[in-house]
Amino acid sequence: MQETVQVEQQSIICTGCGCLCDDLDVTLVQGQLQEVANVCLWGLSRFFPTKRLHPQKERHRLLEPLWRQNGRLQKVPYALALEQAAAILGQARRPLIYGLTNTGSWAQEAALQLARKLKARLEPADLAFKAPYYHSLRKHGLYWAPLEVIRDEADTVLFWGANPLHSCPRHLVRYSVFARGRFTERGVEERRVAAVDLYQTEMAKFCHLLVQIEPGQELELLKGVGAHLSGSSGAQPAVKGAKKLAKLLSEAEFGVIFFGRGATYNQGFAVLDALGGLAARLGEKKPCALFPLAGDFNSQGLYHLLLNALGVPEAPDFGHEGGVLTSAVPVDFGEFDAILVLGADLFWFLPADQALALQKRQVPVVSMSPFANRTTGCSQVVLPTALAGLEAAEVAYRMDGLPLVLKKLLPTALPADRDILLDLIQAI
Amino acid sequence: MHIKIIGGRVYDPAQGLAGAQRDLFIKGDRIVSSLKKTDRVIEAAGRVVVPGGIDLRGQVATYGLNFLHLWNGFPSLQELGRLYAAAGYTHVHEPFLTMYTAGYVHRQLAAIPLVDTSASLVLNLRDIDNQLKSLDQMEEVGQTVKSLQEKTRALDLRLLEPFVRYRQAFYSHRTLDPVKTLETLTGLALECDLRFTLEASPQVLELPFPEPRAFHLAALGRAVTDARLLELALARLEAGVTGDLGFEPPAAAAAMAGKPVKVDLGGYYPLDLNPGAREALPALRLALSYQGPNLAFSLGGPVRNPLEEFPPYFAWLWDRKARPKTAKGQLPPRKFSLAAWVWATRTLPARILGLADRGHLKNGARADVAIFDLAPDTPSKNWVKGLRRCHTLLKAGEVVIENYHLVQPETPKATYYRRTGAGEGPLLAEICQYRSLRPENLWVPDELGGAWVGLD
Repeated sequence: MQETVQVEQQSIICTGCGCLCDDLDVTLVQGQLQEVANVCLWGLSRFFPTKRLHPQKERHRLLEPLWRQNGRLQKVPYALALEQAAAILGQARRPLIYGLTNTGSWAQEAALQLARKLKARLEPADLAFKAPYYHSLRKHGLYWAPLEVIRDEADTVLFWGANPLHSCPRHLVRYSVFARGRFTERGVEERRVAAVDLYQTEMAKFCHLLVQIEPGQELELLKGVGAHLSGSSGAQPAVKGAKKLAKLLSEAEFGVIFFGRGATYNQGFAVLDALGGLAARLGEKKPCALFPLAGDFNSQGLYHLLLNALGVPEAPDFGHEGGVLTSAVPVDFGEFDAILVLGADLFWFLPADQALALQKRQVPVVSMSPFANRTTGCSQVVLPTALAGLEAAEVAYRMDGLPLVLKKLLPTALPADRDILLDLIQAI
Repeated sequence: MHIKIIGGRVYDPAQGLAGAQRDLFIKGDRIVSSLKKTDRVIEAAGRVVVPGGIDLRGQVATYGLNFLHLWNGFPSLQELGRLYAAAGYTHVHEPFLTMYTAGYVHRQLAAIPLVDTSASLVLNLRDIDNQLKSLDQMEEVGQTVKSLQEKTRALDLRLLEPFVRYRQAFYSHRTLDPVKTLETLTGLALECDLRFTLEASPQVLELPFPEPRAFHLAALGRAVTDARLLELALARLEAGVTGDLGFEPPAAAAAMAGKPVKVDLGGYYPLDLNPGAREALPALRLALSYQGPNLAFSLGGPVRNPLEEFPPYFAWLWDRKARPKTAKGQLPPRKFSLAAWVWATRTLPARILGLADRGHLKNGARADVAIFDLAPDTPSKNWVKGLRRCHTLLKAGEVVIENYHLVQPETPKATYYRRTGAGEGPLLAEICQYRSLRPENLWVPDELGGAWVGLD
């Protein structure tokens, strides 16, 4: 009878979201994943093939390359799939590389290399979320603190258009609200927490102040807060909650404003401009950081790479004769005649009319993904990849910009994202 | 590779050479006394031969520094490496690495090509405030500090704030005043064989330094704001404290003028990455007033372009006419010799960092050699023209720059750190318990930097 071999691996890093929680303890039995401790439901879907927040619902794992022939995706050897992908991308007049916020840094570096070679545009999946933030920093300056310092020092926390329970569930416990920092030893009892949202979310259960607004009232609310900070009563009729929010922020010894995607859905640049202005104003007296709450596990790594390599945290386009152009405006898919998608599910987020337009124009899509998703279902070529941080070693940047090494825990025959990208560079 | 550099005027203060015509022999990566066979001869007649430059305070990889790209205020790391090499430098030392930003700093340093790198661990004294109150636990504190140094792969230790102060009034009973702190640090340095770099400030200059050799004062220029502080700085240097000048870098890009760019590293004050244009004359006044061996050259803020930023300050040192007109009559008449410049930019920085085989051209030294196109009888007003870019640069015996062109862009580079061999004690565990990362992920793994060279 074969002996059962059980191995415990401690302090594994979760790639479920930008928190990159590093306290996961994993049990492997006979080389297979058996148990993961300390993981949230969001992170669980990275370790077991289940749907996000729905651990009972299985997610289809891709194990073999696929190539669409006669309208159906069919299994093909890796070399053939790679050849087809290289042909699609290499022959394209205007190729686009999309996604990358859910891939490791080594793969992101390879993707940038590929974009240069293809003279392609490289589009971060969350450009609409991050570009307004960087634009705001340019105008108002920066007070930056790592989560380590925020956890220790922040006594006033505002979530704007963000629900971390859904985008990065352990953020509240590890860093921002319930975490017991060095100078916030009683956790939430030593902090004042507020949220601004369109809905009464679960945040209302622990926030000291939840300001519920109507769509389009963001700027009015920020104006009202600014007015109250100046000592005037602000414009009438004021958005309800502006005065209380101004009072809460003005009393902060160390404040932090976490904003989520909700802040950028409507007039993103204007809202972030106003939020940046508010943070700068508060920062004149006491520390106040404006912090994007990135859901994807290596979004920060991608912008870090773009800043380091190109000096601009925007989408670079290598397809222009005059050199690299960068854009803060999300891509117009109508321009492109081939798309490589990795580290994102493009067709999940794409409005129906744009998805239909792509299909109508028969724009070939090459996708790289560990799991089946809407994009792989619409692709011409699908290249399955090893999961970073579980089946492949990688580097990822936590949402505060600190890099961590993701270990390889499980053996796999599947290539890592980076390896496929380097193969593509060779093949094109 | 066996290389002979012939006919050059060698400036090597460590050997007392100030322009003597000497041939240099290089075998592999080392300087040797002679060669039996020669693979290559480099003609250096009419040129100045000096050791490779060492930037003692090259703020190039600080956590948060890449945000400066937003205002075009910082070159890419690739470009930065090339600029340093073109200026004749072979080593850059980043001053600000903390326990939890170590991985970040090392990954950035690893991305700088051509030049070797290292970093200072900035100690947060709040981590050990209770232990600093008595001298009984010095050994444990010393072991913990050494352990932190090795685990974060730092070359030396630095203090941004030589005091313990809290933003929260609740913790005010745990504050430690600077005098007491320095006294304790001195005891720690003596008992555990440590050396601390203190960021200079007027307040720091006022402190008594019971054991000067245990301290280095960084960026002195910003501290010597009046005549009394200048006298204090000179007294500290005379007593044996080493220091670096910390010339304030020129104003940043116009786009970031007046914009606050601050990074909170967990100290009492945040680190200011855009301090704005400040007076550079105090550093010059100090440089010209002090004639001893304890003062090195450095900039006081982020290094954006060593090719552009260093030469004007070099010219101030040796050319009276190049100095600002506003300073006329206010500065000592002294002029730096080339040997003094080599001492301040190469020999002393190497000694301060503990790089025993750098900063000089003695036998056994690593063959980091910069050759500048500067004839021996060139008047000092024209020196900066010849010393702005190096004609030839050898790093570890490999020609990296030849005739002003980068010929070996892939030359190997390494990150240096101190191997202290200190174990993990309960104090380290206590410090780690406040961190959001577990220790296994807090310490710098091989993959985040390198290639690593541990110095004993």
